[in-house]
Amino acid sequence: MKQILRYDQLSCRLQVEGLPDVSIGQSAGCVGIITGWSLQWTGRPELEGERDHLLALMTVILPYARHLVSGLRRSFRDPTGAVTVEPDQDRRHRISLRSSQPGHPVLTIHLDDAELADLVRVIDALRLDPRLPLPPDLLPRPQPLRSRDLVHRLPLQRRLAAPLGGLAAVSLVAVLSWLVPPPPQPRPASTLPSSGRPAPPRS
Amino acid sequence: MQLPRIGLTGAGPAGCGRVGGTGIIAVMTQANLSPAPASGFGDPPPQGPIRHRAAAALSRRGIERLDLLLLCLEALDLNGGEAMVWMSEQLGFVSLFPNRVELWKRRCHNPLRRACRRGNLSSQESDALIRILCQMADRLYPMLRALLAGDEPADLQRQRWQLFQDRLSALVQERMNPRRSGVQQLLDPQAGRPYLEELIRSLALAAGTGGFERLQASLLDAAA
Repeated sequence: MKQILRYDQLSCRLQVEGLPDVSIGQSAGCVGIITGWSLQWTGRPELEGERDHLLALMTVILPYARHLVSGLRRSFRDPTGAVTVEPDQDRRHRISLRSSQPGHPVLTIHLDDAELADLVRVIDALRLDPRLPLPPDLLPRPQPLRSRDLVHRLPLQRRLAAPLGGLAAVSLVAVLSWLVPPPPQPRPASTLPSSGRPAPPRS
Repeated sequence: MQLPRIGLTGAGPAGCGRVGGTGIIAVMTQANLSPAPASGFGDPPPQGPIRHRAAAALSRRGIERLDLLLLCLEALDLNGGEAMVWMSEQLGFVSLFPNRVELWKRRCHNPLRRACRRGNLSSQESDALIRILCQMADRLYPMLRALLAGDEPADLQRQRWQLFQDRLSALVQERMNPRRSGVQQLLDPQAGRPYLEELIRSLALAAGTGGFERLQASLLDAAA
């Protein structure tokens, strides 16, 4: 029996259709086999596709949102190239959807922050829905970003301040140490050996 | 109104027609709300009992950001301080924060505070504060969304942001050390605006149970 799961937010509605996978003992309310999905937007074209397209959308949107929480705006693209999300001008976000069939133009959707947050919430709802078990390795747990990922969040002056300051300090110490006169070398007391014995004859 | 349908495959799979002729989503009613995404003020977390997972302790920068996010929620909700205590009880954190003073003492680990406490938060305490933050952001999500909406009249948006900025400035002046450059930047109406927008965006994306892992990972970011 076909199941329909709906996840609503103010600007979008995600609807997933499928069947319970009885081969693994799922009950009638679960969806183990996704037969299709649709994403309806207010005032925008409705998207629909197959399971792989839904997973591609999820694998792109969630890391993008994760980086946005850290204040990092960078683009993401799924391995098949079907979905790309990238930052746009004026606090907006651009999602590009490429059809797997030739001859179809790339569909571009521009979202503002509120619409993106709505989309992330419906995807979160889908991801956490116990009625729809997803592969555990599909969406890895968000990880903290490394320093090199965040380095361009700082302005160039602040990034260069520490290395330039260190270089200047080393140079200053080198110059000052060169200006200090070296201590006088102790003069040798005598050219004769201290034992008083005559030097051995030269052969 | 019938929306155009554009399929990623060019044509929808068999048996995936529109059900019930739903069209544009204009009103979100309680009847069509899915169980997972929206949790009300008093709802328990949808994932069942709270699990305390071992995690690294937050850096000072992470604690600073966490406290500022909580402060933003207090600026959005006039009764935010009380709501935070109530939410802590609802989520089962009475053993960690038995009263409001203990909750306040944990937040005072923020180095920008006037009365700053030394030391770090334990991972359990920081996870609990993040859970409280995510649930409160979920409850205040309509306000966060209204601040972020790009299709609202510019004048209305300006008034909303002005109100939020005024409330936050009052809270910051009351509780934060004004000699810190971070606080001065936050109080600057021009220079502080992008950072406030970033905080509100983070709150919107961290709202709800799904946002917990995102926000936790973000607060554990390496210091750049």
